Amino acid sequence: MYALLLVFVLPALGVPFVYMAGKKSPRAAAILVALIALANMALLFTTVPTILNSPNHEYVEPYDWIPILESEFTLFADGISVSLAIITSALIIVAALFSINYMKEKKNLPVYYSLLMLLSIGLVGVFITSNLLLFYFCWELMLVPAYFIIGGWGYREPYRAAFKFFIFTHAGAVFVLLGIGAIFMVTGTTDMFDAQAALMSVSPDLVRWILLALTAGFAVKMAVVPVHMWLPDAHSEAPSPMSALLSGVIISAGAYAILRLSLGTVFPAVAGTTFGIDFLHGLTIFGVISAFFGSLIALVETDIKRLIAYSSIAHMGYVMFGLSLFPSAPIVGTVAITAAITGTVLHLLSHAVSKGLFFLSAGAIMHQTEIRDIREMGGLAGKMPFTAVASTTAALSIAGTPPFACFISEFLIFVGAFEVINADGFFLLPTALMLVVTVLSLAYSLRYLSHVFLGQPKSEGEKKKIVDVPNYMKVAMAILVILVIVLGIYPTFFVHLINTVQFI
Amino acid sequence: MVGIVDVVLPIVSLVTFALLTLPVFRVIRKTQHKTALTLIWFSTAFLVSGAAVANLASQYYSLAAPPSPLPFLNITLTGTPLADFSSAFMIDGISIYMAIMFVAVSAVVLIYSIFYVDSSKRPSERYFAIMLILTAALMGAVFSGDLLTLFIFWEAAAAGSSFLMIYKKDPVSLNSTLKYLVMIIIASAFIVFGLSIVYSLTGSLNFWAVREALMVLADKNLLLIAFIFIVTGYAIEAAIVPFHFWLPDAYTAAPSSSAAFLSALVDQGSYYVLIRVLLFILTPPSVLNWTLMLAVMAALTMIVGNMFALIQDNVKRLIANICVADVGYNLVGITSVTALGLTGNLYFFLMGGITTALSFMAIGLISRHGFRTFDDFAGLGRKMPFVSLALVIAGLSFAGVPPFGGFMAKYLVFTAAIQANLSWLAVIGVLTSVLQVAYLLRLVNYMYAKNPKDDHVIKEPKRLLIPIFILVAAIIILGLYPQIVFNLIEPITKQLQFIPQFTP
Repeated sequence: MYALLLVFVLPALGVPFVYMAGKKSPRAAAILVALIALANMALLFTTVPTILNSPNHEYVEPYDWIPILESEFTLFADGISVSLAIITSALIIVAALFSINYMKEKKNLPVYYSLLMLLSIGLVGVFITSNLLLFYFCWELMLVPAYFIIGGWGYREPYRAAFKFFIFTHAGAVFVLLGIGAIFMVTGTTDMFDAQAALMSVSPDLVRWILLALTAGFAVKMAVVPVHMWLPDAHSEAPSPMSALLSGVIISAGAYAILRLSLGTVFPAVAGTTFGIDFLHGLTIFGVISAFFGSLIALVETDIKRLIAYSSIAHMGYVMFGLSLFPSAPIVGTVAITAAITGTVLHLLSHAVSKGLFFLSAGAIMHQTEIRDIREMGGLAGKMPFTAVASTTAALSIAGTPPFACFISEFLIFVGAFEVINADGFFLLPTALMLVVTVLSLAYSLRYLSHVFLGQPKSEGEKKKIVDVPNYMKVAMAILVILVIVLGIYPTFFVHLINTVQFI
Repeated sequence: MVGIVDVVLPIVSLVTFALLTLPVFRVIRKTQHKTALTLIWFSTAFLVSGAAVANLASQYYSLAAPPSPLPFLNITLTGTPLADFSSAFMIDGISIYMAIMFVAVSAVVLIYSIFYVDSSKRPSERYFAIMLILTAALMGAVFSGDLLTLFIFWEAAAAGSSFLMIYKKDPVSLNSTLKYLVMIIIASAFIVFGLSIVYSLTGSLNFWAVREALMVLADKNLLLIAFIFIVTGYAIEAAIVPFHFWLPDAYTAAPSSSAAFLSALVDQGSYYVLIRVLLFILTPPSVLNWTLMLAVMAALTMIVGNMFALIQDNVKRLIANICVADVGYNLVGITSVTALGLTGNLYFFLMGGITTALSFMAIGLISRHGFRTFDDFAGLGRKMPFVSLALVIAGLSFAGVPPFGGFMAKYLVFTAAIQANLSWLAVIGVLTSVLQVAYLLRLVNYMYAKNPKDDHVIKEPKRLLIPIFILVAAIIILGLYPQIVFNLIEPITKQLQFIPQFTP
């Protein structure tokens, strides 16, 4: 009954307890964060039967909030949002566990874990609401704690990176706010589904601007070229558990928002017009450019975390490409989700776990060796076998190799692309280019693996005795390794959930 | 029935307490428990005046059954409503709302001042008495029912503010207070001149008599001149660009508790006067089309205020410049002439007032240790953690980051601007908000990222922190659940149907 409300309330109530526990022992705080996230995950799972069995395939909990603005505190879950929320909770658990050893030497840990708890409200909340205003609250709640975590516990000049992160994504967010305000003004509602119906009768000129404002704002969070500049800095300077959340969840939230709001709510009003088709083609072009740009830089990047950060840009290019395969004709009645969109959402899930694992294993390497430059590493496979296995799993998944998670999702995106090519020849060239990107991603993954784990130790720093990671880190990485493999071999659970979603 | 006694009781009670403060303090100074007795004395003052306001509010609200809107209530000394020249009071929803706000905020600021301006020293009792009298004058201004009464009460508040500014008696504050007084006198000259023209045109100064006479006025040229004079006068007092330059000087030179009082009460009073005179009486758009002029002024105020804040090195001056920018955001709401804009304005009065008061109070505590510029603020997050946290929250609220109160205020005024076809104003508004984030984050960067000059932790006095954190709690609670305030505002927007040409 109150499952989704509890998902908000539990972490909010948990924050002071996490702080108090952290005063006694940081480990207790981390475990408390993980337990609350686990409870959240269980609560999210309780909504799954309703989603699968109810006629609308959705689970809704409305509460009163601000009647004067037509805003209800509507908590909502359907196949797409619940899948993303579940994977997000999993990543929060993993990040908390990984932090126990990773952050051990740092100061102010009670504050760190409290911020992590606070962050988790925004991270999960953004997926499970259908009210635009509440969505915006969660959207910005992702930002503020993340700013302080990156700034307070990051590397090198962390506050500079955090500042860049905040300014870029907040500038994007204010455009989203303008879009939301305009939607409220022309439709008189802030519920995304009511707004979708109401927008159909609004003049297309206005809808066009709303669509562009929203999409531009979300694209910043998603870090698509040319608004990606904050990502390499923020992701590489953040502490590694935070990098995993940034790359796994925060940029996925951008993609989710484009799917749910830009394409799901606003786009139907202009679908079928020339502008609608041009809009989707525009998304394709930005997607392909991002994928190429990210992959090419990842090929030459030598900083271990920046390399992975650029690969995130490349993968958001994939996602953008997948999103642009959204049906461009006006949808009559209810239509089942297309293969491309299923693949895109699945790619968000698999990318989240794979990239989370990638960042954690990179963090493990940095933590044990205190080196960041991959040219100075080498031969680590023998010294850190567990980390080597985890890294290899992550890198191969990112490269799209079966049987790991990203293979299935990329495959589905391409299946969808071929379906669309039949109708719209424009997509032929982009699809071919994206296939090339797949090769590039294999190239940088292998380059990474060979530099770090194979060959001989190269630097003085590495000659000292290096041992494999402590246990909590192992547990954290093991959870993700299992998830990457399970998602790769048996994605049916999530595919089934995602496929229940219908476009109205 | 609301009688004249009910209306004047809040004002008279505050003035009585103010006058009694001087003899009472002679007694208090001779006893052992100075602080406790001071607190009890002023709590009684605010409880009595609060009760008087509550009595008025309940009497007023009992006049109308819920579905029918609340009346505009004219109350005169002579008993003949709409008399040509008799001082009159008028009670409506806005008056009640502002009165409640003035009592509540003034109480918090006064408690802070008791500890900030050492209450055991000699002239401090005059300082507190003046605060009480100013609150009474502001309350008189919001209750007044004709332009002359409004003018008298409001000028009393505006000119009386100079006593708060000059409290330190140093050359700088003398200088800036003189500047302020000169501006106020020029402004009143403008207003009086404008009012005399209005009186010659309409034969009355009573709000409704003036309105009705203006609606049927044939020749609008003279009215235009009167309008320009009156608006210029009030624009000087509200510090609208290009008449804003006195404000940063005055607020920076004044003691922080005075600055908090001025920004939270007197500033908001000046916006109230603008709303009352512009929206309700002088010029509904059908009489004069002033929207564009005010929109340009609003845009200029937002831009100039934020630009000057960007280049400040003195933190108190930076906040004073944000006060100027806030005037601009309020003007956006006034300009849009919609119910939503008025709601946004009234909510902005409260949140903007609380936020500026909070930051001045925090800065007052910090500047006691000689920290004034950005460089002094380096590492303050570690030296004074609690007050730094309060300042960061105030900053985020200024910048319009949810869940803090400032977000909802900005959302409302920008949405209202979109509704009134002033989208360009909304765009300027959000872009300047991004600028605000930039310079406020720069402050946060100094406080948390830089290393302090010395490491010793400064003990923060608890009794100053209590009023500060009351306001922090208000910002968060009213930001998350603004309906508490909207419940008070909603009847006001229902009254607007009596005003022609007002977009409902």
